[in-house]
Amino acid sequence: MQTAVITGATSGIGYATADALLKKGFHVLIIGRTMHNTLQALSSLREAYPHASINGFYGDLMQQDEVHRVADEIIAYLQTHTEGALSVLINNAGAVRTWYTTTLDGIEQQFALNHLAGFLLTHRLMRSLRLGHGRMILTSSASHKHCRIRFDDIMYQRRRYSCLGAYKQTKLCNVLFAEEYNRRFASEGLRAYAVDPGLVNTEIGFKQTGGLVKLVWALRKAQGVPAEKSARTFAMLATAQPAETNLYYYDCKPVAYDRHAFSGDAPQLLFDLSQRLCGITTFGGERL
Amino acid sequence: MNALITGASGGLGRALAIEAASRGIDLVLTDIDAQRLNIFRQGLLRQYAVRIEVFPCNLTNSADVADLFSWIQQQQIHLNMLCNVAGIDFEGDFLSMDCEQTIDIVRVNIEGSMRVLHGALRHRDPRNRFTVIMVSSLASLYPIPLKATYAASKRFLLDLSLSLAQELGNQNVSILSLCPGGLPTTPGALQGINAQGFWGRVTTNSLPAVARNTFKRALKGKHIYIPGVVNRVFSLCGNLIPRTLLARLLYLRWSQARQGRPVGEKLIG
Ligand SMILES: NC(=O)c1ccc[n+]([C@@H]2O[C@H](COP(=O)([O-])OP(=O)(O)OC[C@H]3O[C@@H](n4cnc5c(N)ncnc54)[C@H](OP(=O)(O)O)[C@@H]3O)[C@@H](O)[C@H]2O)c1
Repeated sequence: MQTAVITGATSGIGYATADALLKKGFHVLIIGRTMHNTLQALSSLREAYPHASINGFYGDLMQQDEVHRVADEIIAYLQTHTEGALSVLINNAGAVRTWYTTTLDGIEQQFALNHLAGFLLTHRLMRSLRLGHGRMILTSSASHKHCRIRFDDIMYQRRRYSCLGAYKQTKLCNVLFAEEYNRRFASEGLRAYAVDPGLVNTEIGFKQTGGLVKLVWALRKAQGVPAEKSARTFAMLATAQPAETNLYYYDCKPVAYDRHAFSGDAPQLLFDLSQRLCGITTFGGERL
Repeated sequence: MNALITGASGGLGRALAIEAASRGIDLVLTDIDAQRLNIFRQGLLRQYAVRIEVFPCNLTNSADVADLFSWIQQQQIHLNMLCNVAGIDFEGDFLSMDCEQTIDIVRVNIEGSMRVLHGALRHRDPRNRFTVIMVSSLASLYPIPLKATYAASKRFLLDLSLSLAQELGNQNVSILSLCPGGLPTTPGALQGINAQGFWGRVTTNSLPAVARNTFKRALKGKHIYIPGVVNRVFSLCGNLIPRTLLARLLYLRWSQARQGRPVGEKLIG
């Protein structure tokens, strides 16, 4: 049986993706933010798939020590259940912040969760992905287009904070990370993808946001598709045989992404910066 | 240059520490929780090439604070700057709050600040200018019913700082009082801002901008900084309206904004 780990799987796109992979017979490990939300998601998934193998973990993935703790727990779990192998890792947890806020590590929160958390978790689970010839999927967004990474001020410390600007930048980081990951690891049979889920009817704009963001999201969300629709793309990428070879997908098909954003070694620069901010010396450790 | 920052692992403390580090200032960070301090130190070191020391300590405990300063002396750190950020507040009106809780506000906000300020001044680098950033609050400018103890404690800090700025002005010491409105630091603070609706939004300040301007003004030797145009207008109005009437107006505003919020909930700190 194939095993999948999904972050942000207690609601929205992540939850629908957990559902879709369970339907395909995956053994699914969901990761939530709080115990309460994780238990709730677990029990409704178990109700829908009483015979499926499904488990839950939780932690505030904005905090690097929490990512490490959850990674330790998952590695230990995989060790006893799959001899360490992981087939699919889906870095989907994401959040929007109206104002500039930092994590305890002193990192801007959207950047910490939407990009660094997935980067660090992937690093920690690389051995498992190697053992499982696994795929890594990031929930990006079409909003990554027409935006550039400002490497001199990636966390909006020197310029006026823009909720949307900071969000778009993290979604661009997802595409750049997938690109650099493939450049480094495709030769080992590993692959990363970035998915544009489209505009999806979820609660993301209402969680720990304020004022105008809530208002704008209420209008946007009403136009969104159900999360089940975007979950299909994740399920396709998780199961395709042979593995898909493009980078960026929407509605189960490879589509164009913003290549201009890749100029000037942006994928490598971001990778190096992310390693530094996570205190990583060799990403993913040694080859098997 | 060395700066001591109290309340360093909270939202505003982190923003000021980030600003200081980006200016190349070496830091001594203190707060009550050692683990949180160490996590922040590590994160900051990965972003900035400055020296960062942490020393956890409870500012209401005189022995703790004495230890902090003797450690600073042992390390031969000569302080050039103090950012006194540590402060607490609890939700609730005077009578429904536990009496010890209200007194805790006084202990941390006043007693703790006095100890640190005194200690830092004694351990300052005598050859150079010493700059103090006292974090007061917009609340210090008015009597605020339902936030009475907190507002009064911040008033104490504001008046103390204004007076000491004169007393110590000819000893190469300058003191800036920072009087911010709402700061979006914690989920609780966000709820508070949202609960005030439109006024919450327009009186809320951006953290990095506040940190940047605070340093700029403090290093220029200014005495008071109220971030945000709306807040400055409010403070001007506050000076023109009699304080008894002000208290009445603010009571009306806060009793609406507070509705449905649990008494005794920690708001900051
Ligand atoms: N909705 C859209 O139109 C859209 C479009 C493009 C891309 N996306 C991306 O899709 C992803 C999923 O978003 P969604 O729309 O499905 O929103 P959602 O329903 O709010 O899902 C976000 C998930 O992430 C979790 N999460 C939030 N903060 C966390 C933290 N600090 N630590 C760990 N987990 C945390 C949430 O848990 P809690 O509920 O407990 O906080 C939830 O399970 C995000 O990366 C988002 O950027 C969404």
